[in-house]
Amino acid sequence: MITVEVALYGTLARIQGGKYVAQTNVQVTNDATIKDLYEDLDISPQDRGYLFINAVLCDVPGLNAAIKEKLHDGDHIGIFSNGYMWPYQYRDGAQMSESLTSVLKEHGPLHHTYKKEE
Amino acid sequence: MGKKILRINMSDMQTSYEDVPEKWARWAGRGLTSAITYDEVDPTCHPLGPNNKVVIAPGWVTGSPAAPSSGRTSFGGKSPLTGTIKEANSGGLSGQKIAKLGLAAIILEGVPKKDKWYTLVINKDGVEFEDASGLIGKGMYDVDEILWEQYPNEPAVIGIGQAGEMKLSNAGISVNDPENKPGRYAGRGGMGAVMGARGVKAIVVDDTDGPGVDIADADLFKQGRRKLTKAIGKHDLTKKDGGLNAFGTNVLMNIINEAGGLPTRNFSAGQFEGAALNSGEKVAEIVEERGGEGMTGHSCHPGCIIQCSNIYPDEDGSALVSCLEYETAWALGANCGIDDLDYIAKMTRECNDLGVDTIEAGNTIAIAMEAGVLEFGDKEGALKTFDEIREGTPLGRIYGQGVEATAKAFGVHRVPTVKGQSMPAYEPRAIKGIGVTYATTTMGADHTSGYTIAPEIAGVGGKVDPLADEDKDALSLTFQAATAFIDSTGYCLFIAFPILDIEEGWAGMAESVAGVTGLDITGDDVIEIGKEVLKMERLFNKAAGFTPADDRLPEFMRYEELPPHNVKWTMADEDLDEVYAWVQED
Ligand code: SF4
Repeated sequence: MITVEVALYGTLARIQGGKYVAQTNVQVTNDATIKDLYEDLDISPQDRGYLFINAVLCDVPGLNAAIKEKLHDGDHIGIFSNGYMWPYQYRDGAQMSESLTSVLKEHGPLHHTYKKEE
Repeated sequence: MGKKILRINMSDMQTSYEDVPEKWARWAGRGLTSAITYDEVDPTCHPLGPNNKVVIAPGWVTGSPAAPSSGRTSFGGKSPLTGTIKEANSGGLSGQKIAKLGLAAIILEGVPKKDKWYTLVINKDGVEFEDASGLIGKGMYDVDEILWEQYPNEPAVIGIGQAGEMKLSNAGISVNDPENKPGRYAGRGGMGAVMGARGVKAIVVDDTDGPGVDIADADLFKQGRRKLTKAIGKHDLTKKDGGLNAFGTNVLMNIINEAGGLPTRNFSAGQFEGAALNSGEKVAEIVEERGGEGMTGHSCHPGCIIQCSNIYPDEDGSALVSCLEYETAWALGANCGIDDLDYIAKMTRECNDLGVDTIEAGNTIAIAMEAGVLEFGDKEGALKTFDEIREGTPLGRIYGQGVEATAKAFGVHRVPTVKGQSMPAYEPRAIKGIGVTYATTTMGADHTSGYTIAPEIAGVGGKVDPLADEDKDALSLTFQAATAFIDSTGYCLFIAFPILDIEEGWAGMAESVAGVTGLDITGDDVIEIGKEVLKMERLFNKAAGFTPADDRLPEFMRYEELPPHNVKWTMADEDLDEVYAWVQED
């Protein structure tokens, strides 16, 4: 097993006993991915917003681009509930994971959320 | 009845109501303040001298019935902080009331012959010049209260605190909020000092029985308003209980910290260990715990449906300050190494009372900490800096001049400014796109100068690749132009999110503007109109002596690595020069 530090922001914090912010250590298997972490913590796709691993942006609302990212012992994972803002011009040029970069190439990176609005 | 321009000359105490000349007829908000400043203010004038002006203009749709979140007022002129043209805009009560009096703009010019202070009272019958000597030396909390007692109909109060009286370069212009508190500021760039230099302590605006705002095409306006309102109401960020409503702009604190882009201890690191304690989430927790007058989901003016403002409660639940914004909580928090929201709230109240911009004030304290005058994290010492300003001590006057003056006074070379104005809460080494905007905007380092608009929606799709470094200049220009447009509408910039993600919202914004003004504007015109505003501003700055060499980030960012990503600023100067290469005199 390895241990990762998980910070949950917004309503997701309740999962780990906080109100709007919670930070806890979570044990996962050696080969665990973000998908496993989401499942362990019971975070459903519609609740997922921005996600960071060690200060690198790995997901944005609506894309689910981080699920295959592998976790390492001592990683810091920050997960935001849906409905958080990060205006594009404050995000343009921030460090992003390779998988998010390639998914955004397809979708166009400028939107705030990639969820389809009816 | 067409809109008028109210000109108030403080040299001879004359006022006139002028028809809006053809050349300004299509402008409002920032477009109008910049057009008037460009046409009437000598770019080489001293900002505090007789030839500068304060131009006040509501946006195109401000004051029109139920246009959502549209009560912004622009304040423009030449900035004493930067020496550039300046537009700072604010929420609060003023925009809707000025618009409902049938005014496109108020131009405040000249300086009184006698060393005397005035309160200007503007209503449907005209302007009165009242003696303001009883208000001198008072902070904005007292001024707002006294003027509401003195004048009927809960008027808008536009005013300056002691900092504006002392003509300090970090003096902002206050606008009262619906609770008559001085929480809304046209803060950046020292426009409060320009107002003080006209001998005006306060402007009271009462719109009772005013003519209201003419709507050129009511059906089109209603159609646009409906689309925009719907988009705001269903977007995750702007809907009721969405991110902005629940946590305010401070919903950004933890995100920017997680990204390693939160400037910390005078821009020496990109993460602050106490960020969560200063965040919007924490504010919401404190509001719930303490109860009383504290609240999230507060409106800075009537008719805002996003309601991102808050009232931060003291320990006993009484209102301590409104509003604790992200930029404020960052400048007085992380950048000073302070992780105590109660102190941050107390300092914000001091800023609102004295009339200084919170971003510049926090950055100035961080410079004093860097210089060793205070320790990073010294919250008591930080709070006391405001006493120095209030008392007008030599040290207080240095602090009140902002970051550059304070850095010079104490020999600090890590100075996070562009064109004299200090940077807001996004580290350009970690978030490179914002650095292009900081470097090149006409306003000095300013985060609101380049707001998010999707280029494909704005009609420039396919022309830029946002993931390629070499296109950052084109993107930044697009953002700056879109912002100049939104700043002219009177809409709050936060409508940017729903109009970015929901196409109907974008069309709704443009249609509501076209409906009110009768101008033939569609979503495709936004960037070109915005660029016209930028061109006037850029040419003003050029005539004031600014060159491309001023469009640079501070030197230390080129050689100091910023943890945790350990990155420097690497953008080539030639790329920065591309942003405004298209601006030529006609
Ligand atoms: S969204 Fe916030 S800043 Fe904008 S108008 Fe509403 S309360 Fe004011």
